[in-house]
Amino acid sequence: MNTLRTLLYLRSFRVIHRSSYATTKKKIHDDSEEDLPIFQYPLSKSSDKRVYVWGLAETGALGIHLPRSKRGKKSYKNAFSLAWHPIRSSFGERFDVTEIACGYGFTVASIKTNEQHKVFGTGINTDSQIGYHAPRIGHPLEMLLSPAPIYIPYKSLESKIIGLSAGRAHTAVLTDTEGVYTLGNNAYGQCGRKINKNEEYKGSMVAHRISTLGKEVIINVCCGQDHTLFITESGKVYACGWGADGQTGLGNYENQSVPAPVKGDITSEKIVKVASTVDCVLALNDKGELFGWGNSEYGQVPMTTNQQQVNMSYALVNFTKGIGKIKDIAAGGSFCLIVNEQGDVFVWGYGLLGLGPNVQHAAKPKLIPAPLFGRNEFNPECVVDKVACGIGHLAAITNNGDLYMWGRNRHGCLGLGHSKDQNFPLRVAVGAHVLKVVCGVDHTIVLSKPFI
Amino acid sequence: MVKFRNAAAAFKALNGLICVYKPACVPIQQIQHTILTNLCRDLNVLPDRPHEKRVEIVGPTNAPMTVKLVPNYADNPLVCGPRYIKEDFRCSWATHLGLFTSGVLLLGINQGTKLTYLINTARLTRAYKIHGQLGKATDTYFWNGKTVEKSTYGHVTREKIDKVVAHMQAAHQKTMFEMSGVHMESQTMFDLAAQGLIRPANNNLPVIYGIKCVYFNSPNITLEIQAINEYDKYLWTIIHDLGVQLKTSAHCTGVQCIRQGKFDLDIALLRKHWQLEYIIDNMDQCRRLMEEHSLILQPKSAILSV
Repeated sequence: MNTLRTLLYLRSFRVIHRSSYATTKKKIHDDSEEDLPIFQYPLSKSSDKRVYVWGLAETGALGIHLPRSKRGKKSYKNAFSLAWHPIRSSFGERFDVTEIACGYGFTVASIKTNEQHKVFGTGINTDSQIGYHAPRIGHPLEMLLSPAPIYIPYKSLESKIIGLSAGRAHTAVLTDTEGVYTLGNNAYGQCGRKINKNEEYKGSMVAHRISTLGKEVIINVCCGQDHTLFITESGKVYACGWGADGQTGLGNYENQSVPAPVKGDITSEKIVKVASTVDCVLALNDKGELFGWGNSEYGQVPMTTNQQQVNMSYALVNFTKGIGKIKDIAAGGSFCLIVNEQGDVFVWGYGLLGLGPNVQHAAKPKLIPAPLFGRNEFNPECVVDKVACGIGHLAAITNNGDLYMWGRNRHGCLGLGHSKDQNFPLRVAVGAHVLKVVCGVDHTIVLSKPFI
Repeated sequence: MVKFRNAAAAFKALNGLICVYKPACVPIQQIQHTILTNLCRDLNVLPDRPHEKRVEIVGPTNAPMTVKLVPNYADNPLVCGPRYIKEDFRCSWATHLGLFTSGVLLLGINQGTKLTYLINTARLTRAYKIHGQLGKATDTYFWNGKTVEKSTYGHVTREKIDKVVAHMQAAHQKTMFEMSGVHMESQTMFDLAAQGLIRPANNNLPVIYGIKCVYFNSPNITLEIQAINEYDKYLWTIIHDLGVQLKTSAHCTGVQCIRQGKFDLDIALLRKHWQLEYIIDNMDQCRRLMEEHSLILQPKSAILSV
C-alpha cells in the first residue's frame, strides 16, 4: 500500500513538475523569490595572477604534490605522473608570482615580497640549480616535489627580482639593483665563474653574483642549455658557458667561464631580447631586426658557406626580408619562431613546425596560416602577440590572451589531453587571460590573470 | 506583386521556399497552420474554375434519347467543401526554432520541402541576437523559470564581457576541428584548418563561430552569436555560463534569429503579410537568392562559406 502511495505521489509530483516546464508562456509568480538572498561573489584584484601547470609531474617540476597520509608509508592517494590538462597551481594562489622560468625538469618562480625568500624552486635538483635543501645535514635532496624557497645572499632585502631564466642544470636570477645571481652546474662556465673540474655540484651552496658587466647594469638574462646570455642597459650582449656549437658567439668554440661580449654584427646594435632554449640563439634589436648565432645544423642561422656552427652573431635581415618589423622571437631545439608587428607567425628549421604533417623542414621563414590562431571573418582582429619555444614544442599567445600550442607532445606537455603530437596550433584550455608561457623540456607553465 | 486571374494558376506557383518571421511564443506548427489556412482562404477567394456539369441522357431507350447538361452538385463548393484545403499542401521547416525564439524561419511549400531538406543538410550558419539579464539565475535558464539565485552585478563592465566572450568563442576552435570528421593528424585536416572555419560533418554538437557583445546597459546585455547545430536551450545556457564567468548570475530574456545562411531579416515576411500575394512574392525573392548563391545548398567543401 505504501509503495502504491509513493507511486501515486511521484506521479502527481511529475505532473506538477511538467506544468512548470520551460514551455510555460507566462512567468510563474513565486513569492519566495523576494526572500532570496543576494549573493556577492568574490572578485579578483587587478594584481591577482594565476599559475597553470601541465606536463610531466614525476620530476616534481609542476610543484603539485599531494602529501602522504601520516599512517604508514602508503603510496600517494591520488598519485599522478602526468598532468594532461592545465592544472591551477596552489603556489600561485598563495603568493604573488611575478616571474617564472622552466629548466630541464625543474621550475623556478619569483614572488613579490620584501623578505629573504623571493625565489622558489621545485623539481630536479641534482646540481643544486634550485638551491640547497637538506632535511638531514649532509644529505641534500636531489628532487623537490613542492616549491621550496631558494636561499640567495641578497645585499638588500628591498631588491626586486626582475628576471629569471633556467637552463639544463643552472638558474640565473636577475635583480634590479644587485645584478645576476647564478646557481647550479658550472661545468662549462655557464654560471659565469671559474670552472673547477673537481667541483661537486650536488649539495652546493654557491650563489655566484655578477653585479655588472662592462660597468653596465644587466637588464635581461637568458639561459640556453649550458650557456647564459646577458643583456646590459645599452643593449650589449654578454655570454658565458658551453661554446662547442658557437652558442656563446665569441668567435671560438671554447667554453667561456667569465661573461664576455658577443662578437659579430650585434656589437653596434641595441639588443632588447635574446632567445635560446638549446644551442641556437636569436637576438632582436630595438628596430625589430633579427640576429642569430650558435647551432645551425637545421638551417636556423643560415650561412652562405653551409657552416653548421656559427660562432659569431650574424644579421638575419636579408633572411627575414619581407616579414617586416619583428615583435617577438623564440628559438627551439631545431627550429626558430618569430612573430611580426602584424601578428603573423613565421617558423623555420626542422621538426614539427606547425605547417602540417608533410612539412618537416623549412629553409626560409614560413608563415603559419593566421586562421589557425583564430583569425577569421568573425574575429578579424585576432593577432599573435608573444611566442615561446621548448625543445620540441611551440607556443603562441594572442592579443585575447588565448594560448595556442603545437609540436612534439612529450609527456603531455602540450596540455591537449592526450600524448599525440600536434601538427598545427591548437588552443589550450586555460581558463584565464594568458600573460606569459614558459616551456621546459616536458612541462609547460603559464602565468595568467583571471578575467574578472 | 503578381495578380492571379484564377486559383489554379496561383496554386501551381506555390512551389518553393519562403522565409517568414516567426514571432516569439508561437510554435512552428501554429505558424505552418496559419500560413496554410491563409493560403487556402486566399486561393478560395480567387475566381474558381467553371463548375463541372453532369451529363444526363434521358428518354426512352427505344427512341432517340436527349443529352442534357445539368449542374453537378458533387462539384459544387457548397456541397463538397472549399476547393483548397490545408491537406492539399505539403509544408516543412528547414531548421527548428524553439517556442520562445523569434526570427528568420525557412518553410518549404509543396516542391519546396526538398529544398528545406537540402538546407538542413547543408548546415548553414545561423546568427542570433540573445538578450540576457544579469543578477538573477533561473532553473530553466530562461525568464519563465523559477528564480534560484540572485547576485550582485555592479562590477560587470563592457570590457570584461568582451574579454570573457572572446575566450568562450576561442574555446570552440577544438570542437570545430573535432566535428569536421577528418583525422586530426592528417594533411587534409591541416589544409582545411589553414583556410579558416570548418563546417561540422554531423549535427551532434553545437559549434560556435563567433560571439560578440553588441549591447550592454547594465543589467541588460545582448550577444550576437554565429553558430551551427545550436538549439534554443543551448543558447540560453550560453547566457548562464557568461553570468557564471562574470562572477554573477544571468538568465536569458529572449532569442532572435537574425540570419540563416543568406536569408536575413530583410526578406522575412511579417505575420501581417502572410497572404497569398506576399508569399508568392517572397518565394520569388528566395529563389533568386538561392540562384545567386547556388553553393549554399550543396557545398563542395567543408570550408564555411556562409
